[in-house]
Amino acid sequence: MNRESFLYVVVFTFLVAFVFVFVIALADGATAERVARNRELVTAQAFLNAVGRPEDDGATALQTFERLFGAVEGDSVIRARVDDQDVLVKQFRGDGLWGTITGVLAVDSGVTRIVGLDIISHSETPGLGGRIEEDWFKDQFRNERISAEGITVRKGEGTTDDDPDNGTVDGVTGASLTSAAMQVIINHEIDGLRKEAGQ
Amino acid sequence: MSNETIPGVLKKNLWTDNPIFVQILGICSTLAVTNNLTNTLIMTAAVVFVTGLSNITVSVIKGLIPRKVRMIVQTLIIAFYVIIVDIILRAYVPEISRALGPYVGLIITNCIIMGRAEAFAQSNPPMIALWDGITSGVGYMAVLVLIAFIRELLGAGSLMGYPIFGDGFTAWTIMVMPPSAFFLLGGIIWAAKTIMIKKEAA
Repeated sequence: MNRESFLYVVVFTFLVAFVFVFVIALADGATAERVARNRELVTAQAFLNAVGRPEDDGATALQTFERLFGAVEGDSVIRARVDDQDVLVKQFRGDGLWGTITGVLAVDSGVTRIVGLDIISHSETPGLGGRIEEDWFKDQFRNERISAEGITVRKGEGTTDDDPDNGTVDGVTGASLTSAAMQVIINHEIDGLRKEAGQ
Repeated sequence: MSNETIPGVLKKNLWTDNPIFVQILGICSTLAVTNNLTNTLIMTAAVVFVTGLSNITVSVIKGLIPRKVRMIVQTLIIAFYVIIVDIILRAYVPEISRALGPYVGLIITNCIIMGRAEAFAQSNPPMIALWDGITSGVGYMAVLVLIAFIRELLGAGSLMGYPIFGDGFTAWTIMVMPPSAFFLLGGIIWAAKTIMIKKEAA
């Protein structure tokens, strides 16, 4: 058969595309459950990190998550009691520099202090904006006072902001836009949580 | 039909025709993913896997591919293997999949893979094509790992996440930013070319 004929080209291209896409669909289907479980686990661990109860072990993390927060529906605000403290926890999503940043924010019941913050996913520049997922950045939020304007992410000086009472954290050096985006996202969530808390 | 030998291909891809410092291919990923050694190792291992397998696949079905659509078929085969790698990473090593983010998908656009499929696999038998793909990938890996080693060591004071220099070390911010990869790559090309010229003269 003539390899350059119109019919051959169409049939060949169709068959090749069909076979390869079929194998991909099989592989995707076979791993779908695992991928969903991984995503659930990452979310559960983010909730636990945000309220300061980190669990490394997957099974224990899911159990503790269930016990503390029950069934979590999307982005709704969850009221939970952790270590004798009432907290409001919310999964958030917002625009970073390159893509969506998702994470979990926990505040006390009066929305006066942040309990903690964790990042679930982002697509910021690795090594620059991507450093928002590093512990030194997230730890600055722990127990930070929320001022009237919310939280300020200031231009950092290469160190971290250790003062929990000034409502300010240091941004990431070399990633001003990601730092500014974090400020907008967190303050937006704080506004929402204040409404929820009835203030 | 083929006069390519196994040691000949190895030497070409690792040294005399190295995809990075001789052919200057795949530079985008050289700049983007080399600020962290762990990510670089996994990313380049994925490239070795994809170049090898796409080469052997192209070589096996080369007699059936119509000339008009051969590039698009090569792209399809490459994309197929990249998506398989992405699915495996997502299912079995989710932390690494998270760290690499969009870079896995971007392997599809790595010019080395397409270049080897078109320049080598289209005109050589399957086994030597597989070998060519793997060694091309390794030639790419060697250079990237070297750059990543220097960048992570100076940019973060660590290697594969383990601190090396301790707390007193001031990280070189420039090293985690893309320009440093430009300087290092330039330096490596310079060094490699100097050695090659000296060898030729000797």
